[in-house]
Amino acid sequence: MKKQGPVSIKVALYGMDPRSHKTMELYLKGPCRGIAEVVPEEDAEIDIIDADFATAGEILETRRQQTPERPILLLSLEFLKIENTYFVQKPVKAEQLTTVLSKIVSSKKPKQLIEPEQPVTTLGESPAAIQDAIPQENTDTANPLPKATKSRKTFANNEGGYTAFLGTLSDIDFSDPEQLRRASFDAKSHLLGYVLSAFKVACRQGKAQQLNSIWKPILIFPDTRQIWLDADDKQLRVFAGIEQNHTFAGKISLLPVDAAISKIGLAADKFQDIDVFIWKLTIWTSKGRFPASINLQQSVYLKHWPNFTRLLLTPDAMRIAALLLKDPRTPLQLANLLNIKPQYVFAFISACNSLDILGQCQRSADFMVVPEVPKPSKKQNLFSKILNKLRGD
Amino acid sequence: MSQYKIIFTGPVGAGKTTAISSISDAPPVKTDAAASDMTKNRKSSTTVAMDYGVMNLEGGEKIHLYGTPGQERFDFMWDILTNGGIGLVLLLDNTRADPFQDMRFFLEAFDKFIANTAVAIGVTQMDVSSKPSITEYHQQLQTLGLKPPVFSVDAREHNDVSLLVQSLLYSLDPGLVGE
Repeated sequence: MKKQGPVSIKVALYGMDPRSHKTMELYLKGPCRGIAEVVPEEDAEIDIIDADFATAGEILETRRQQTPERPILLLSLEFLKIENTYFVQKPVKAEQLTTVLSKIVSSKKPKQLIEPEQPVTTLGESPAAIQDAIPQENTDTANPLPKATKSRKTFANNEGGYTAFLGTLSDIDFSDPEQLRRASFDAKSHLLGYVLSAFKVACRQGKAQQLNSIWKPILIFPDTRQIWLDADDKQLRVFAGIEQNHTFAGKISLLPVDAAISKIGLAADKFQDIDVFIWKLTIWTSKGRFPASINLQQSVYLKHWPNFTRLLLTPDAMRIAALLLKDPRTPLQLANLLNIKPQYVFAFISACNSLDILGQCQRSADFMVVPEVPKPSKKQNLFSKILNKLRGD
Repeated sequence: MSQYKIIFTGPVGAGKTTAISSISDAPPVKTDAAASDMTKNRKSSTTVAMDYGVMNLEGGEKIHLYGTPGQERFDFMWDILTNGGIGLVLLLDNTRADPFQDMRFFLEAFDKFIANTAVAIGVTQMDVSSKPSITEYHQQLQTLGLKPPVFSVDAREHNDVSLLVQSLLYSLDPGLVGE
């Protein structure tokens, strides 16, 4: 009795890894009550593209060329306004997706859900390029973004559901020193390094600090473990990924400030938990690369679980955490054992490293024995069903 | 068909009933009664038997969600409840006088069950009282030789409870993959 209509809309999915693809397929069947079914691209009536995917721009252009009459629905964490496309903001809500799909079907030809005020956008290859092309002034009008302190809600809410910032690296040949170098990053060459250093100074001195750079000032309050920054996540994400040069380094300064006075007049919604801030800043700096300070040949260990309900979830983060807490392993062992992209492991260990909950084994005893591969639980099938249920709801 | 269950435990007012409601497919069966003892200082009604919710899984299987009564005088029920359980979700209220003592009490009370399965800890009310911090919980757990997931949780938020239960599942089997 759950079906809303007699015929499901035929949709094709693009820019989704197998897991996201399956999740969306189940989501359309379950919470969306079968309004649409996923079919091969040649049979589809609507194309759904994850616009946060690394090559979403290319996919969109290809779909427009190959099936110009077919409506395109974009899914993204950020508000998108691209001509001749429909848009649903992630995390996708069943009601919203159902409404938009119904609207698309009811209109005979593609029509903009949001009237464009800008010329047609030409998309680049990266999600950042898509988002950079979008006016941001009114992004909160159609779908208000939660306050920065609740930033986790702007991201995919389930482990394994977020790939927006990864996938910029192609497959890496780890025996090639040049490729290996390109797969690493040095925090000191990014805003991240200055923030980590400033936070250490603030904690050591027990005094609030203001970090000045060529960008916006960042206030660090060690007593409440908060930072204050007048920038949204999109801006931070862009700035995090830029490698800083000497000009930037020359403009850096760190000044002690009076916490009580400094807080006066600051917008309350710009305060963020320092761990949440450092975690996401690291992930956006890492972009799937590993910290240069980590030796890939040596095992790493996790001191404890990250507080995942308040942090930006990267793909397979919970699986990596659970496995690392059983035994120390090298990053590549983790990727192989879990059969996941090394980039996912690198992003995760980068963030844990910044929060100082990751360590690298130094004792020779740690390299003596290869840890056993955990045996799958006899209830794995049941657990998978529970997992799907929790993610699908 | 086998009956599987996840047990939710913790002190009075930690949010067990709410957490079960957040992920249950059916309105949970509540067994709340007006509080007449020390509990009334914390909430007007409390669970006196157990809460029950259910998750309907693909293929017709069900996961039963049981919440233990918070009051210690009902602890005789806990062994019965855990029989056949796949894991424990421990919810702790950060506004209580000594949340670490609560944590130690429940970890000890369920130690055999945890040794055979796993535990995931959710700390509620952290928006009201940010101390102790999650890091401090981990430090306490380290002295007990445990490294379970510990998350800040708003029991009303489906996503928080969902992630907590997901972490429990991954603790049981890190190789677990969703479809």
